[in-house]
Amino acid sequence: MTDSNDPTQTFREEAAELLADLETALLSLEERPDDRDLLDTAFRALHTLKGSGAMFGFGAMAAFTHHLENAFDQVRRGLMAPNSALIDVALASKDHIRGLIEHPDRVNKEEGARLLDLMAKQTGAASGPTGSGTVTADKDLGTPGTWRIRFRPAPDALERGTNPLLLLDELRAMGSATVVTLTEALPPVEEINPNRCYLAWDIVLTTTQPRSAIEDVFIFVVDDSELTIDPVDPEAKRIGEILADRGEVAADTVTDAVGRQKKLGQLLVDDGAVTEERIHSALAEQAHVRNKTDAAKAVVPASNSIRVPAERLDDLMDQVGELVISHARLKQLVASSADLQIKSVTEEIERLSNGLRDTAIGIRMVPIGTLFGRFRRLVRDLSQDMAKDVSLTMSGEETELDKTMIERLNDPLVHIIRNSLDHGLEKAEERQAAGKPPQGLIHLSARHAGTQVLISIKDDGRGLNRDRIRAKAEEQELIQPGARLSDADLFQLIFQPGFSTAKAVTSLSGRGVGMDVVKRTIDSLRGTIDVTSTPGAGTEITLGLPLTLAIIDGLLVRVGAGRFVMPLSAVEECVELPVKEDVRHTGRNFLNIRGSLVPFIRLREMFSSPLPADPYQKVVIISVGERRVGLVVDQVLGDHQTVIKSLSQLHADTKAFSGATILGDGSVALILDIGHLVALGQTFEPRRNVS
Amino acid sequence: MTKTILSVDDSASMRLLVKMTLSGAGYDVVEAIDGKDALTKAKAGGVHMVLTDLNMPNMDGLALIRELRCLPAYKGVPIVFLTTESDAGKKNEAKAAGATAWIVKPFQQDQLLGVTRKVLGP
Amino acid sequence: MAVNDNQTFEALTFALGGEIFAINANLVREILDMIPQTEVPGSRPFVGGLINVRGKVVPLADLRIKFDMKQTPPTIDSRIVVVEIPLDGEPTMVGLLTDKVYEVTEIGGASIEDTPDIGMRWRPDFIKGIGKRRDEFIVIPNIERIFTSE
Repeated sequence: MTDSNDPTQTFREEAAELLADLETALLSLEERPDDRDLLDTAFRALHTLKGSGAMFGFGAMAAFTHHLENAFDQVRRGLMAPNSALIDVALASKDHIRGLIEHPDRVNKEEGARLLDLMAKQTGAASGPTGSGTVTADKDLGTPGTWRIRFRPAPDALERGTNPLLLLDELRAMGSATVVTLTEALPPVEEINPNRCYLAWDIVLTTTQPRSAIEDVFIFVVDDSELTIDPVDPEAKRIGEILADRGEVAADTVTDAVGRQKKLGQLLVDDGAVTEERIHSALAEQAHVRNKTDAAKAVVPASNSIRVPAERLDDLMDQVGELVISHARLKQLVASSADLQIKSVTEEIERLSNGLRDTAIGIRMVPIGTLFGRFRRLVRDLSQDMAKDVSLTMSGEETELDKTMIERLNDPLVHIIRNSLDHGLEKAEERQAAGKPPQGLIHLSARHAGTQVLISIKDDGRGLNRDRIRAKAEEQELIQPGARLSDADLFQLIFQPGFSTAKAVTSLSGRGVGMDVVKRTIDSLRGTIDVTSTPGAGTEITLGLPLTLAIIDGLLVRVGAGRFVMPLSAVEECVELPVKEDVRHTGRNFLNIRGSLVPFIRLREMFSSPLPADPYQKVVIISVGERRVGLVVDQVLGDHQTVIKSLSQLHADTKAFSGATILGDGSVALILDIGHLVALGQTFEPRRNVS
Repeated sequence: MTKTILSVDDSASMRLLVKMTLSGAGYDVVEAIDGKDALTKAKAGGVHMVLTDLNMPNMDGLALIRELRCLPAYKGVPIVFLTTESDAGKKNEAKAAGATAWIVKPFQQDQLLGVTRKVLGP
Repeated sequence: MAVNDNQTFEALTFALGGEIFAINANLVREILDMIPQTEVPGSRPFVGGLINVRGKVVPLADLRIKFDMKQTPPTIDSRIVVVEIPLDGEPTMVGLLTDKVYEVTEIGGASIEDTPDIGMRWRPDFIKGIGKRRDEFIVIPNIERIFTSE
């Protein structure tokens, strides 16, 4: 034996031994043709040479040996005597086999053919290589099909080492499976033999894999089990049809039962036509198919997935948050250490923790199609109520967003869509008069843009009425009469509380509530709202939302003794506050950033910091959409992985902060509310448009 | 938990191939050179699956499967046997003896792993 | 204001501004030594800070402001009592600054008197009742009311 770790080399050595055994056995057989042991030895040597040879790349040798093995199998079974002619051929073949192993490229092919021919004469069997059939899995992924599988393992399946649950798991891994356990064959408890299998399963499986893949799952049990695999009609059927399809009950019986108009399943059970369990299983299939059909309608493609309670995801995110915080602490401690090993472990942990963070965030992501789908019904109902012909189209349903965000976006989107239907889209006559198709259009779309997800609600209605918005804003003293406002700024006014331009208050909107709710919700999600509108052509409202609510990359700054975080995605640049601007403490708080005036806010003043200011003040320029504002800070401390913790009700009144986070040293830092600060910057307004 | 597989084959090269494949996938492999050797090692316990050739000297695979299934501890332990395309009769005998699954020689390493995972679970 | 739950309860007693207070021990989650707090600019002085309680960001409240007591700097005996109270229907953790924590004790229903309507320098709705233990008066504050009032 060898210690070599090369199986091919081991095989060569082993083959040499086997061939020597074979030779000895053949020579002895000439003398003692009836010796059973000799025959077995010869046969086994050939069998092993064939079986192993094919596995170690000696295909030709295996194919050749197959014939010799066949011959000896016949001898073993008494169909043929080990006469000297056979022994001669066998000995010559043995030499040929050695050649095939030792120098496969230099073997005499004619010699091989001659030997096979001789062997065929001995055995009287047709020679010719038998192809070793390799079963290749049909990897052809088709469209999803739904299959109904009934599987009742043999009673002794468990004793034979088969675990039916593993087979069910294999099915589950193939797609979406609904499994119903049939316990009807279960005997009374005292008669149960724990080694026997009494259960059967009905599985309804929707998978893109072909039927052969399902059969492969049961490959080792198919002969002994009761197994049926039937395709299921993709239409959600009525329970009676399913039972009839399954052959559980005759179609007539079903029709009969339906005629009596009681609960069908119960009736059939009462009639003894079918057991309760079978009804239960059929109901499960109905639900499965119905779900599949609904899912298909929601366009989101079926995928291999597991269901997890939402709280567990929250827990996971919390724990990842803790890990990120602990790592920040570790990093801070290690920064002052000279130990390179600890430093490298810390870096490794950083890599892992970042990976874990990304995965955890990824797990929380849900396609927005699940939300969009809810609006079909809304639009349909509203358009009927308002006697407007409206079609809803969607794109980007597969765009993923944090699940919490998706839940909280429902109300704002409902308001915006209602508003579009109510104020934006005209009635058919009005549209036709304006030369537009009678059917109004609302298009929902979602897409990724950097660290944001943009959700747009676009209609082809009459557009926002600038004059009316302005008049209303002046009336409510939201703006100075005659104030110069950009369209974008003017349109933002519709999100002011109590602002509504609708002349007639309808049941749906126009009560002045709604759009301010949109604004508040989007603000709380640290999102942005942009409005564009063209008179006569329609309005588009675009919501910009951060990818996640849980962890962001932040920029840590110091103002006086306090440390604050702002989302890095909002930061455009950091500049030094020019001394002449610094000393001018009153009036115009504007910086000239490459020719455009950017308002700035002195956070020291805003936060009433008692400490003296650092000599060189820094300005962090942040932006939301088109709007920019500079935040004057004492020091820019650097990047910070920010695990966002929300503030309690007790701090709901502190508008400058959207949340808090925990720093590496364990202290709490506040997260600046960028939307609020930018809006505050806009109130410095008047001089900005002078240039 | 690491699962232990008893690999039974009179061919050293096959044992080596099996061992390399299975230990590479994280299984512990105990080797036996024939049915007799296997039975002794199986009785020592701790085996989660038996992978056996059928044609072996001293005690062949069929006899091994029958013997194992008589041991209370081996009721329910998956037994996988190696066979060849031509051995249809042997295959049925082995199944009747209580084998769980089989692998047709020649096989690829991932086929061996596939069947192992199938009967042992992930 | 009448005490609506004139029953015996387990209470945590602590000192604050020269008075002894008792709060339902069921509300108490943790008692901490003084830890650094983060000031929240622009917040009400009553809840002017935030602390880190095992990875949670928790507001820190100074009841002395609600009871018009003098704010003295913390001493070696000062503790933060972390309680969980419902705010807007959501259980919320809040840290309470105290001068000293005494003990968990049973406060008997019989020894609790209704808040006297007159002669009180505090808002009557902030007090559930006055208990008596040995010779001392113990103030039973209405924590939930204090945190939900403007």
